[in-house]
Amino acid sequence: MIKEMLTGNAAAAWGVRLAEVDYVPAYPITPQTEIIEMLARWISNGDVDTKFVTLDSEHSMITAAGAASATGVRVFTATSSQGLLYGFEMLYTVAGWRVPLVMVNVSRALSSPITLEPDHNDILAARDAGFLQIHCETCQEVLDSVLIAYRLAEDERVLLPVLINMDGFHLSFTREPVEVPDREQVVRFLPPYRPKHAFFKASQPMAQGTAVIGGSGYSYFKYQMHFASMGALDVYREVSEEFGRLFGRSYNTTEGYMIDDAEYILIMTNSFSTLGKAAVKRAREKGVKAGLLRLRLLRPFPELGIKEAIRKAKAVAIVDQNISVGKGGILYSEISSVMYNEKERPLLLSFIGGLGGKTISSEEFEFIFDRMIEAVDTGVGKVPYLLYTEMEWKEMEKLKNVAGKGNKNYSNCRGETHNITEHGKE
Amino acid sequence: MLRLRFHGRGGQGAKIASRILGTAAFFEGYYAQDFPLYGAERRGAPISAFTRISKEPILERGIIAEPDSVFVLDETLLDDPHAHPLSGLKEHGIVFVNTARSAVELKDTYKISVQVITLDITKISLKMLGKPILSALAGGIAARIVNLGEDSLKKSIEKELSEIITEKEFLLKNKEASQYCFHAIKPIEIKIAKGIHKANPVITVPFETALISSPTIYTTGNTPLRKTGNWRVFKPVWNYDICTKCMVCVVRCPDACISVNEDGYPYTDYDNCKGCMICVEECPVKAIEGMREAHAW
Ligand code: SF4
Ligand code: SF4
Repeated sequence: MIKEMLTGNAAAAWGVRLAEVDYVPAYPITPQTEIIEMLARWISNGDVDTKFVTLDSEHSMITAAGAASATGVRVFTATSSQGLLYGFEMLYTVAGWRVPLVMVNVSRALSSPITLEPDHNDILAARDAGFLQIHCETCQEVLDSVLIAYRLAEDERVLLPVLINMDGFHLSFTREPVEVPDREQVVRFLPPYRPKHAFFKASQPMAQGTAVIGGSGYSYFKYQMHFASMGALDVYREVSEEFGRLFGRSYNTTEGYMIDDAEYILIMTNSFSTLGKAAVKRAREKGVKAGLLRLRLLRPFPELGIKEAIRKAKAVAIVDQNISVGKGGILYSEISSVMYNEKERPLLLSFIGGLGGKTISSEEFEFIFDRMIEAVDTGVGKVPYLLYTEMEWKEMEKLKNVAGKGNKNYSNCRGETHNITEHGKE
Repeated sequence: MLRLRFHGRGGQGAKIASRILGTAAFFEGYYAQDFPLYGAERRGAPISAFTRISKEPILERGIIAEPDSVFVLDETLLDDPHAHPLSGLKEHGIVFVNTARSAVELKDTYKISVQVITLDITKISLKMLGKPILSALAGGIAARIVNLGEDSLKKSIEKELSEIITEKEFLLKNKEASQYCFHAIKPIEIKIAKGIHKANPVITVPFETALISSPTIYTTGNTPLRKTGNWRVFKPVWNYDICTKCMVCVVRCPDACISVNEDGYPYTDYDNCKGCMICVEECPVKAIEGMREAHAW
């Protein structure tokens, strides 16, 4: 075992190297490319024995990954943002093949407007496809999750592909100390993949991924995928316990931070949870019984863990780093559905923040705690709050000015004159 | 926690310098985190990189808006509106600038109130490495300023550079240059001051129609002209006595900056030549020389 400074991307690549993956189909996209670059370098140096193929798009890449996995080999691939969406059709398709490949998504906000920094609309768009989803806060967790993901995906009770999510820039390009386990230790945890259901072998013909006409067949297969995914919660617990025993680091489906006696709880995912933890510490210093619940497994959804963690709280703020345009925060909806039928339940508040990598400032966290405390007094919470600060608004005003949307008239392409402020004022 | 920020031009070594510092701190048992920031990365464009060093686990991520110290690898960045390397610097902060000029001169020119340290590390790297690659040197300076030990620095340089430098001798030279810089700076103590935190309340975002709220730009010509000549730290200079008019430099310039004069000799557009030195590298008869320049416009 060695401990060294690694980026999230390098940690992912190390995970793949230690998992002794057989096949990597690849297509570049920022901020994921470094994972593939590292693997490609190791492959060309002969450090790892893996087949590597560059494809013409993410659609082909996910198809190749699924097809290779269906031949019975261990497969890895990675993408981000637009790339994930470009391959979207194939996510559902390969999940339906019940092949246990692992894919890393490096979160990056979706176009338009086009940008590079993270939020979770990309990965959450894939939440219904049948892939399990693990969301990571640290670089160490990225490496460990790759190993856990293969064990989970290849378990005969599961056999579904896994998506691992890390935030672009905040994890992908950020280095922090990461323990890289020894290969011998990893083999004990993750034995070679020996599929019984999907493989290619001479003189043993089979047809995979066959068509069905008529809803009863289709429903049967979908229900079975759902059972497998839900059952993965228990399998995950076993796997992560064993991981903890072997490597001394354990990851539950959710992570609680200062949560045991917490009255006001933040729910967050991914790398911004680090900022949430700092906010919880600051709130505690001021005497607010604050805590944080980080969701690590998003599919299957860890309903029980969430219920138990937040049931006794006074108020819970779900900080969604995504926006379902026309509805609000995606996780807020999911958590509300978990809590609605509970007799004992906290007030749920919804906050949207960190879109496109926008930071969540200490003022914004204070604002969240203030709204929670206020909601407990009044018994109601507004839904959702869109986090934005005065400085950011001023900066935006400047940009609007530059774009010809300031305090003056401008003419549109047809030569008609408008007064912008009139439109702009509430 | 110490929050450190590096400013350089793409290719100068700011990112690796931040890594050398991060790894050295990690070797000394601190919690460390480092992170570069570049948009659509290009050689010569201003970039920044960040290192956090702490005795406690680090509960921060992303850019450092209020650094305790900044390391500026190219003096011209001090005047660059896209880099503003001094922004947010704390009251007792320390600024290191790579320049041939003195700290006093610099404080005067750029109206800097905090402590300034200068050293011409480009000159040192040219002398000791034969190339203006500043990562190891800036790493050495940063390690000294934040008070890390020489051994951790050595180990860190070995770790970080052996992955990217295959030539043993060049690696050794980098180590020497970094130690030289480490010792060229007197040990100082960074006082950790509280940041000057401006109140920044949360607001309610108003609705605006798509006339305003779509990512559309109505005005024309609103992008300030950015002359990439400003990125240059080395300038190609032609020697027509040797030039054979072979046109190799003309086709190899990635920015199509090189034209041919009436006599058939190549010359470049210095407003836009970004100083990548590809022409210098490519000229088969070595008729082009890279000359150091420091300018800010
Ligand atoms: S240094 Fe040479 S190749 Fe590079 S931009 Fe200038 S003229 Fe072109
Ligand atoms: S490459 Fe060298 S010899 Fe050829 S035209 Fe350019 S300067 Fe002259």
